[in-house]
Amino acid sequence: MDYRAKVGLRFITRRRGSLIAASLAVAIAILVVQVNVVIFQGLYNAIVRDQINYRFGHVYITRQENFITKSDKMLVNWLERIPYVDAAAPRLDAVASINATGSGQTIRDYSVPVIGVDPVLDTKASTMYKTVGDGQYVSSRNSIVLGAIVARDLGNSHVGDSVKLKFKDRNGVDELRRFTVVGITETAGSVGLDNSVIMNIDTLREILGRPHETQSIMVKLNDPTKDQEVKDLFLRAFPTRSDNFKAQTIEESAETTLSGFRSGIALINLVGYFGMMSSAFAVVTIQMMQVTSKTREIGIMRAIGSRRKDILIIFIFQGMVIGAIGAGLGTIFGVSYTAYAKETHMTFQGSLALEVTYNWLGILQTDILAFLLAVVASIYPAYKATKLQPVEAMRFA
Amino acid sequence: MPDLVLEVREVDKIYGEAETAIYALKNVSFSVKKGEFILIVGSSGSGKSTLLNMIGLLDRPTNGKVFIDGLDTSTLNDNQISSFRNSKLGFIFQFSNLLADLTVLENVVLPRRIQKTDTNAVEEAKLLLKTVGLESQMNKYSNKVSGGQAQRVAICRSLINKPTIVLADEPTGNLDSVSAETTVQLMKSLNRKLGHTFIVVTHDRQQFGDVDKVITIRDGKIIEDEITEIPTIT
Repeated sequence: MDYRAKVGLRFITRRRGSLIAASLAVAIAILVVQVNVVIFQGLYNAIVRDQINYRFGHVYITRQENFITKSDKMLVNWLERIPYVDAAAPRLDAVASINATGSGQTIRDYSVPVIGVDPVLDTKASTMYKTVGDGQYVSSRNSIVLGAIVARDLGNSHVGDSVKLKFKDRNGVDELRRFTVVGITETAGSVGLDNSVIMNIDTLREILGRPHETQSIMVKLNDPTKDQEVKDLFLRAFPTRSDNFKAQTIEESAETTLSGFRSGIALINLVGYFGMMSSAFAVVTIQMMQVTSKTREIGIMRAIGSRRKDILIIFIFQGMVIGAIGAGLGTIFGVSYTAYAKETHMTFQGSLALEVTYNWLGILQTDILAFLLAVVASIYPAYKATKLQPVEAMRFA
Repeated sequence: MPDLVLEVREVDKIYGEAETAIYALKNVSFSVKKGEFILIVGSSGSGKSTLLNMIGLLDRPTNGKVFIDGLDTSTLNDNQISSFRNSKLGFIFQFSNLLADLTVLENVVLPRRIQKTDTNAVEEAKLLLKTVGLESQMNKYSNKVSGGQAQRVAICRSLINKPTIVLADEPTGNLDSVSAETTVQLMKSLNRKLGHTFIVVTHDRQQFGDVDKVITIRDGKIIEDEITEIPTIT
């Protein structure tokens, strides 16, 4: 081993307090960045996950400014022939005025989004049915599932209660229907359909006077990376102007929801990296202390022939040791926290469960940045060390 | 004069400027031949350590020149001075000045590592340590040996690169009388056996007995520079 590396290593390892403090400063900075990533990227991923599962699928097919008039069965069958497609399900959206009767009095009367689903296909393409905490998912023609917020607004409606919905059909004529509540759906963080009601798509078609029409088709893939391919395949298969289909990947369909969040994540990451800068100041301070405590040794080494450059290398090497140990510890802490968050499906006060992934490239980038910062932070103390005159330095007790 | 290893020519060292200028050394000139054992003596503050720092290239004279092995050292840049100190000069300091984070053996080998001529360095260091009776201590950290032992380690370190001149600044100043006597005898014996030139700064000339030359300094000036036979204390 080069003597400068050996001396640098001895200087720092024989002062364990300094080594531990400096390495921990680097490690904690990495941990802070990692915790930010786990929480905020996890939250972002969770929102994407739930948007896929509950609303859009991996590919979301609509028709430009109109309802899909082609047979939903035909479209679903066509889509399900693509090897990457797991399932596809039609949906129809509407708005209705809802009220319930309790103790002989009408409770609330307000507008709610109504989503018509195919009871069979929807359970394949969406996990919305899994959010029914009380009761069951939509089945018969006059059954309805209330979102938890709607149920609460209706005075805590229960399974078996009767609710009335008033629709306007395609001709603007009011259509009043009574439904039996068969389930209440509730999602963590209310990112599902908690403020909507879900009913059988055929019933909704009949009420609206749109017997064969569909608002959208959500497509679930077995390989989410093929979303663009499936989208392109679909648009190539149905290219005519009369079809006028619009197909979007989840990034496109949920863009409104996600774009703001992405900016937030960037900001939070920036805060994390500023935290890393503060760890660099800790390294500078500790290295300055190290130089001060080793002033006499620096003088001795200069006296017996070490050049200024050699002294510089010794202290920069120390920075490399601090950076390497700090990065190692930070990775262990960060990966442990990530594993904990992943295994426990971490949530915060009932919010949606974080969708945690191991971002090895991100971890590596953070490690390299922390390592480089530790090295850069050592340059000034190392430079100060080179400026010491041997005679003066050796007088230092 | 092929035998000259050191020539100090009209060296001044002035601290401060103009009216506040203080002469630490004034017009100092002398020369040293190869293999001589020289004492520089004087009272505290006389300028003897300053002179040693000039000879050791640890400080630069304000005026005058220092020639070592015929080379005008004022022509050397910082890196060349470091390299020159490493290969031509050996240092023994009052407080031994070993690196506490290295073992005894590593301290002795260090100048060779700096020189990047590691071949046989460890074997030679072990041999030197054996010569001074410290072979059993070589793997101890240097702050775990006694003051006398540390000074012997420093002597070994000063000799590992086979320097032209060994410079010792009050080498016995921090030692008890027994260790001091051992250290003096060791230096003189190495001077005789290996032929290294020793220049020793001390305030206790009696301790060194017979030497080749004694240079006495007072107020920065040489007041005596002669071959001096000092009677051995009986």
